[in-house]
Amino acid sequence: MANIEKIAQAAIKKAQSLGASYADCRFVETRSESLGYSDGAPEAVSSTVDAGLGVRVMADGAWGFFGSSQLSEKEAERAARMAIDIARASNLVNKTPVELAPVQAYKDDYKSIFKIDPFTIPLAQKLDYLANLDRLMAQNSQISTRSASLDFRKTESLFVSTIGSSIHQTIIHSGVGIELGIAKSRRERFMRSFPQNGGQYESKGYELLDEFDFVSAITRLAEEAIALSSAPDCPAVTANVVLESSIVGLVIHEIVGHPLELDRVFGAERSFSGTSFATTDQLDKLHYAAAIVSFISDATHPYGLGSFGYDDEGVKAHKVDLIRDGILTDYLSSRETAVRIRRAPSGAMRADGWGNIPLVRMTNTNLLPGDKTLNELIAAAGDGLYMSTISSWSPSDDRSSFEFGCEIAWEIKGGKLGQVYKNPTFSGRTVEFWNSVAAIGNEGTFRIWGTPNCGKGQPGQNARTGQGACPILVTNLKVGRS
Amino acid sequence: MISEKILDIFKGAIKISRADQTELVCESEEFYLTRFAENLVHQNMGRSDSTIWCRAAVGKKTGVARSNDATREGVAELLKIATEVARNGNDDPNFQSLVRSERAPKCQGFYKKTFDYSAAARTENVAAIVERAKSSNLTCAGTYQTSATTLCVVNSLGTEQFDKTSEYRFSLTAVAPDGRSGWSQAAGRDIAQFDFLATAQRALDKAAYPGDAVQLQSGTYTVILEPDAVANFLLLTAFLGFGGKTLQQGRSFMSDKMGQAIMGNAITITEDPFHPAMQFMPFDYEGVPKKKITLVENGIARDGVYDSYYAGLAGKTSTGNALAPDNNYGPYPKAMVMAAGNSSVDDMIKSTPSGIYVTRFWYLNYLNPMKTMVTGYTRDGTFLIEDGKITKPIVDMRVQQSMIEAFSNVELVSGEQRLIPQYGTLMLVPFLKINNFNLSAT
Repeated sequence: MANIEKIAQAAIKKAQSLGASYADCRFVETRSESLGYSDGAPEAVSSTVDAGLGVRVMADGAWGFFGSSQLSEKEAERAARMAIDIARASNLVNKTPVELAPVQAYKDDYKSIFKIDPFTIPLAQKLDYLANLDRLMAQNSQISTRSASLDFRKTESLFVSTIGSSIHQTIIHSGVGIELGIAKSRRERFMRSFPQNGGQYESKGYELLDEFDFVSAITRLAEEAIALSSAPDCPAVTANVVLESSIVGLVIHEIVGHPLELDRVFGAERSFSGTSFATTDQLDKLHYAAAIVSFISDATHPYGLGSFGYDDEGVKAHKVDLIRDGILTDYLSSRETAVRIRRAPSGAMRADGWGNIPLVRMTNTNLLPGDKTLNELIAAAGDGLYMSTISSWSPSDDRSSFEFGCEIAWEIKGGKLGQVYKNPTFSGRTVEFWNSVAAIGNEGTFRIWGTPNCGKGQPGQNARTGQGACPILVTNLKVGRS
Repeated sequence: MISEKILDIFKGAIKISRADQTELVCESEEFYLTRFAENLVHQNMGRSDSTIWCRAAVGKKTGVARSNDATREGVAELLKIATEVARNGNDDPNFQSLVRSERAPKCQGFYKKTFDYSAAARTENVAAIVERAKSSNLTCAGTYQTSATTLCVVNSLGTEQFDKTSEYRFSLTAVAPDGRSGWSQAAGRDIAQFDFLATAQRALDKAAYPGDAVQLQSGTYTVILEPDAVANFLLLTAFLGFGGKTLQQGRSFMSDKMGQAIMGNAITITEDPFHPAMQFMPFDYEGVPKKKITLVENGIARDGVYDSYYAGLAGKTSTGNALAPDNNYGPYPKAMVMAAGNSSVDDMIKSTPSGIYVTRFWYLNYLNPMKTMVTGYTRDGTFLIEDGKITKPIVDMRVQQSMIEAFSNVELVSGEQRLIPQYGTLMLVPFLKINNFNLSAT
């Protein structure tokens, strides 16, 4: 890393010598392994290493960025020159210089928490693990489609800036998941997945795999898929609905996390990801949710997929109250956007690798737990529905409305689970939805769900985010079928 | 951007490979993008990168490794890792062999002027658009990107391909003071042929359209879809049905329907990488030369696209539609053309007593893939048509529609086609007038 630091310092020195008022350089090396098993055969087994550096400069009050995969002092200096030229070009349009909130300089070394480095486990052992999951699923002859996947990533990064920061971070992520299905006909299939659709990802090592009881899960999922194949469609009604916690995780992601990204609120994503209904004139006023509902952004959570020591502009990770007792109290922000609402940056600037500009992204967006067990939530629903596992999602571009589809639903009758329904969906308006939350699961129901593929920005960037969630009871929710 | 020297590095690596079969792929890109919002340039960037894939086969075992180190040493290390992955893997009974291909014809899609287009030139164009928007009291957001890509494929069976393309992409969202918006986009290979002001004007005109947006009731409507909206549907339809993997697994809406009508007879869809508007890279990530494939002809299902793996399973030959070696989507058509008809947009509108004009869709996602049922929203320019005229803007609506059903309900197809970029694809598509389209109030 000493050689990399020398290269990165060469970049920011060159940028300063060419007139940059601020510059930072990020080196990022990502090592990943992706393994899949599908219907008895290995699928897309791959190993990846990706490294490079990105130089971000402020020149004459405008941003410029250039990234290169060639790691040498000469190339770092070329990247700095290119970034300066690009920044100066921006001034053909921009007449007002960008202002940045102050940030402290740090020299630090951060490592995420893990017990077993997944890259010390032989590939053959990982494939055997998947082959065993495939065999377990194949034991039920009614299962016609099965897949299992593992994904591991180790990211090593160095951030240096002209204010004197030098931050080295090493972060490990692991992911595991299965999906099985039954084909009733060529036109009708019923899928069930575990721990959630697409698998569960956390900031942990290989030990993550031991946290899930796949043997009993496969038995249960197979029974549920069989039940779905003869189940009626979910009724189109307005009902009290209990949503399982992984559903709540993705709902938080889409209609709490995204609308509270402050760059989006200001219109930076107007032509792509969209805007936000939660405009800054509503800060500290908007009753975003019922009074029992609070959300925090927490990059310090030990196991979230959005956990880190420092964001990609050198702001130290910390907790931020986004919605407290139902009221909108803050946003996810950068140095540039926070200063526009006279707040401190939330530490949410994150870039996809070395070759992209950092954007305001979610870290871990967590619902604070309530006081109910899952059974108490179902009992409190009286008559209604219980839904599990997201299968589809579609929010409006300003995130004021949404529709989600789920893999399975059960009738709730007299506070107890009844028959299974297929193809359930729910839709509504964001503020109305969160204000209809009548009860929240307790600490024991909390899990930080990982989203490894959150898309935003142009060129498209992929972020890994966490959502801490519990099951919730929502009253008068519009339910339908796909 | 990487030069043809990479061919020598790859051939040298293959000579020392201990795998039974070896494939090396390099995709190298110089990419520049100016992004603007609130009438300001807020992101302006460039990037130079090369991605190298090595696929090694040891008996029936295959392994893939990827890195972005294009040096001789980096490629040798990658070969070692891919071979290790293969050796430690499990047999894939379906793997047959890599493919030997003849040299593909030279690509016609590289234009130096596009490659050389500077940040200053892009920003000057944006400045002109911003000035025009300000004069109409509108705000602009969008992107202007230029890139050049080389693709090189070498394998141990003697395949050797190298070529390059250039591309520009432009998109604009113009926003009126009341928040209503208009959208336009364009793409192409030769930036000298790009009239950015004409493209921008389409978005500006929509945002400036007079009147307050009205809210419509949920129902089934006659819609006129602009090419952007047609491309939104076509991209997802292709993902569900045109690739060899979905066909092989029986998940495609065409799986058991080849030779049968699956869409309206006005719909013909081809994969046409050599169409003058496309000028696509002439070979795929396995080095197999591309060719024109008829997917749907006058509504009748004709064929899918294949890479070597799924072609082997289907008893066919590859059509040159392999994606990168570490993908698990299977083959995909990246240069689709929906055939033009003989209507005009004006005729479509004039022949519609009551309907909705849709610029594009947003956040389409599958609700029920087996029925090709998607959900999403209209966005950036949705208008009411009354008595054969566009009369007022409407509040955006939710789409909940089977795409195959929509393509079955096509009444008119325009003669005009536009080249629409989406993700890694280009689609040349017309306007469509479609009946019985499901839209609901949000």
